[in-house]
Amino acid sequence: MLILQVLINGILLGGLYGIMALGMSLIWGVMNIVNLAHGALIMLGAYITFWAFTLLGWDPFLSLPVTVALLFVYGYLLQRFVLNLIVRAQLFITLLITFGIEVVMINLARILWSSDLRQVTPAYAGSNFSVGGLTVPYVRLWVFVTTIVLSVLFLLLMERTRLGRAIRATSQELRAARLTGIPVARIYAVTFGLGAALAGAAGTLWGMLFPITPTMGGALTLKSFVVAVLGGLGTMMGPIVGGLVLGLAESFSSTYVGPTYPNAISFGLLVLILIFRPTGVLGRREGG
Amino acid sequence: MKRSVGRRLIGAAAVGLLLAAVVAWAATDTIVLGSAISQTGKYAREGKFYVDAYTMTVDAVNKQGGVKVGGKTYKLELKLYDDQSDPNLSVRLFTQLVTSDKVNFLLGPYTSGITIPASSVAEKYQIPMVQGGGASEKIFDRGYKYIFGTLPRAEFYFLSATQAAVNLKPPIKTAALLYSNEAFDRSVAEGSRQLLKEYRIEKVYDEQYQPATQDFTSILAVIKSKNPDLILVAGHAENSLNFIRQSQAADVNPKMWVFTVGPPTADFRQALGKAAEHAYGVTPWLPDMDIGGEVFASAREFSKQFKARFGYEADYHVASGAADVLVYKFAIEKANSLEPTKVRDAIASLDVETLYGRVKFEPNGQIALGQVLIQIQQGKLVPVYVAGKFAAKPIYPMPKWSQRK
Repeated sequence: MLILQVLINGILLGGLYGIMALGMSLIWGVMNIVNLAHGALIMLGAYITFWAFTLLGWDPFLSLPVTVALLFVYGYLLQRFVLNLIVRAQLFITLLITFGIEVVMINLARILWSSDLRQVTPAYAGSNFSVGGLTVPYVRLWVFVTTIVLSVLFLLLMERTRLGRAIRATSQELRAARLTGIPVARIYAVTFGLGAALAGAAGTLWGMLFPITPTMGGALTLKSFVVAVLGGLGTMMGPIVGGLVLGLAESFSSTYVGPTYPNAISFGLLVLILIFRPTGVLGRREGG
Repeated sequence: MKRSVGRRLIGAAAVGLLLAAVVAWAATDTIVLGSAISQTGKYAREGKFYVDAYTMTVDAVNKQGGVKVGGKTYKLELKLYDDQSDPNLSVRLFTQLVTSDKVNFLLGPYTSGITIPASSVAEKYQIPMVQGGGASEKIFDRGYKYIFGTLPRAEFYFLSATQAAVNLKPPIKTAALLYSNEAFDRSVAEGSRQLLKEYRIEKVYDEQYQPATQDFTSILAVIKSKNPDLILVAGHAENSLNFIRQSQAADVNPKMWVFTVGPPTADFRQALGKAAEHAYGVTPWLPDMDIGGEVFASAREFSKQFKARFGYEADYHVASGAADVLVYKFAIEKANSLEPTKVRDAIASLDVETLYGRVKFEPNGQIALGQVLIQIQQGKLVPVYVAGKFAAKPIYPMPKWSQRK
């Protein structure tokens, strides 16, 4: 029985990890920017949800589209006016500027919301149902379902629309994309906006399960990074698979090895994947 | 005649003045308590608590007749420096206090990090130091004889909780112990293991976790399968918060749970809302407790005076600092001497009731004080178990999540 409960816990958590990493993976894959401010974007999404909930009384699932839209605009502008300046620069410079953005965002959050622990607590926050001795928290289940819905929408956007094709083209062969008339600068901004929007969605979902603080982002950036690499860059389903792998690894190692081991196991897994499948679980072979 | 009356009056006045001066001179015998404490730098906030606590307690002692030694009355006097939150400067200033200012006794600085080096000065010159700002075991496990501390040690954090647990009806039989793998929480766990053994509570779960842990669902799944009566959690406020919320979602229902950190802080209770209800926490001291002794009749009285004078609420740092000054008053009177070694022995064998609780030191110099067990009842902090007895009726067992409104 315990093993089934642990399995359910791992899957439900893994879904959340997946959507956290989706945005990071997208930006990384298309623009070759490892966005260190990704966790800060998640944090921003969480605080917007917190405000919508406490000031306006909006249910987090209702405010989700609003958060996504706001973060899209924020991401778009951020790319257009800040990151665009260094879009051809070396990796180190992009790391530096996204790190700088993170620092600014964290400190703004401190001023706006203080360092107190915040939480979004709708009336149903703690409710659950039991099936044959297994307990499933409603919120986690809905968070998981939302993750799947958002991922499918995102996949359709990327695979079936002109915009998605343009983004993928830009990612695969920049020069050819430009030759066919794709407005690369705008595609970059839209991509970053999409990545930020996904981070915002992850923030809303995260804020329903865990406390919100200005500094919560750092650990989430790291987690997103691991998930993105685990799943494989440049694949749309990669982060979701990576998230599930990480969620299950954490859940099982915490139960059967000890609660201090999940990080060791997760990063050990990362190292193993990098050695034996450098392109990730779903990643394409180099030059394939 | 008139003139001679006048002269006599002047003469009498002169004699009177002289007498007054003699009395005043006798009364200016002072005992100087010296300390270097952070008034600037990163510990300035807490440093101020101690400066204010020392100042108010010294004034109160003097107002109530000072300290009596060998039939003579002494006034207490403070000699304070600012260590700028710097341990190196602290050591220099304490050396200066002992060697050139020649203060009688030492009061402590704030935080373990500064107290550890500063206490070495006291030990070297064999001058007692009573401090209320450092709880780390590193201060007390060096075999020093002249350092005494009034903050309770980590090992005793769950003392009041365990004592209350076995005296509840029905008594607690089984317990789960969960703690972060940071040094302080590991000490709490070490002490808790002893306590559970001593009070014959069966330990059904004993695990550590990483302080950065957000997701406790897997840990909770295991704890739930063991079904303990009591859950003890040692960690950060964020850990406690996650633990409670996820327990609700996972439907984990112990009869009682106690957290080292979280319940006493307002933002914690706000963030959790109703889910915080019935959770137990620990704190060394609360401003509205009915404990007290000489000088300050009760904690409540102390807090009132303190707030009136300094404009902010006294917390346990303040009470601990006040207790340090009182320790000297009682120990010096007990030793009936100002000899540092004699006063040191008197401190070591002291056993008095104060506004801070019962002050009695362990052989290593740290106070043998449990924490006050508090419970959140209708959003308020209620001290339920204080100094070995129930002070209020605990809500026990905690209602199951499914039965809560």
